[in-house]
Amino acid sequence: MLPGSEPSVGDTGLLKTFSASLLVLLFGFGGLLYATEGGQAYTTETLRRAAVDREPQPIPDLQLIDDAGRHSGLHALLASDGRVRIVDFIYTHCQTVCVSLASVSQRLQADILAQGLQRRLAVLSISFDPDADDPPALKAYADRLHMDRSVWQALSLAQPTDRRRLLDAFGIMVVPAPLGEFEHNAALHIIDARGRLVRIVDADAPGEALAAALAVGR
Amino acid sequence: MNPANSRLRGALALMGLAVSVAMSLPPGRRLIEQSMVWHMAVQVPLLMAAGWLSMGAMSQARAWRWTADWNRYGLTGLLAAQVVLAYWMLPSAIDRAVVSPLADVLKVTTLLACGALLQSSVWRAPAVLQLFIVGSAVPMTVWLGVYFATTDRRLCNAYTLASQTTAGICIAVWGVAVATAWVVVVLRQAVQRAPEVPPARSRVGAD
Repeated sequence: MLPGSEPSVGDTGLLKTFSASLLVLLFGFGGLLYATEGGQAYTTETLRRAAVDREPQPIPDLQLIDDAGRHSGLHALLASDGRVRIVDFIYTHCQTVCVSLASVSQRLQADILAQGLQRRLAVLSISFDPDADDPPALKAYADRLHMDRSVWQALSLAQPTDRRRLLDAFGIMVVPAPLGEFEHNAALHIIDARGRLVRIVDADAPGEALAAALAVGR
Repeated sequence: MNPANSRLRGALALMGLAVSVAMSLPPGRRLIEQSMVWHMAVQVPLLMAAGWLSMGAMSQARAWRWTADWNRYGLTGLLAAQVVLAYWMLPSAIDRAVVSPLADVLKVTTLLACGALLQSSVWRAPAVLQLFIVGSAVPMTVWLGVYFATTDRRLCNAYTLASQTTAGICIAVWGVAVATAWVVVVLRQAVQRAPEVPPARSRVGAD
């Protein structure tokens, strides 16, 4: 239909159209601003970090198992020495992103030891593949990366059924990728001794993670 | 419109609806859960196309007449379609549609509506308004596609980087295809209108 051929009803038609358009724009922009935290966050990852920055998120008390087969609750582990933890998520047969993530954790371990911070900070690598990552697999991984157990530990879930709860609590999404690998949002998670997630930092910014963890400890 | 033609349009609209909605329900849902290409480069355009075709098949209905005053020159419809499209270009919105069935219902309904609004609005708009809308939506789409295809950051937590790259290329191609189709339609309309003028002129010349 050509614009000129529309039934003419005087100027009220144009007024109605302009007011409807204005409403659409107001609600549209309002909705987009709301969905993006005021135009700041376009991805799930940035939204998740903003939510944690606004308010620390409680982490459920999951049962964990270490490379010697010892069980412990996450909250008990955190409360046992009052240290702030820098947590990352791994699976031990990973050949891709975790390799660089592991070298970041190695750097964290070296920095903590070099700066004498081992009584205030520690690093946890938690596996989200509890079926494959039993204590022997964790031990092989820890030995391969020269973990100093007093600063850095690899842990797995004692109950594989807790996997969903673990991933949801930290906002991790794991996507199966070719060759039996997984892709997942890799980051460094700062959790305090009370079992709360207080900051999420880029996986390639260990310096920032150390500073953020020290700020929590103070 | 001849009856055979309108029956064909109706059948196409139903087929588009069935296929695009089925991709949000099991077992078709596996496709959009596994790959961003199926989700953003196949289902999203298909939903819009199904909405467009359905509106085309229904456009004879008198029921829509009352909206004309609220949608002069198709302005309201085009702006609303633009907002819907902008929202579903957010990686966080796409992630949410994968994780939450409620968000996916919102996606299906708003994108069908987006296609319907475009169909009922775009040909009411003067060429300048069409150019303004196409000129903002297409570069937005192409830029997004190129960004998805070239960044090494995973933007959707639900998808692998490889599927993001392929989806980005497809999205950019969609943008170019829509722009090309619009240019073709506008040129054809211009050509159809053109013959009315030259004979008049040639007659003047003959005098």
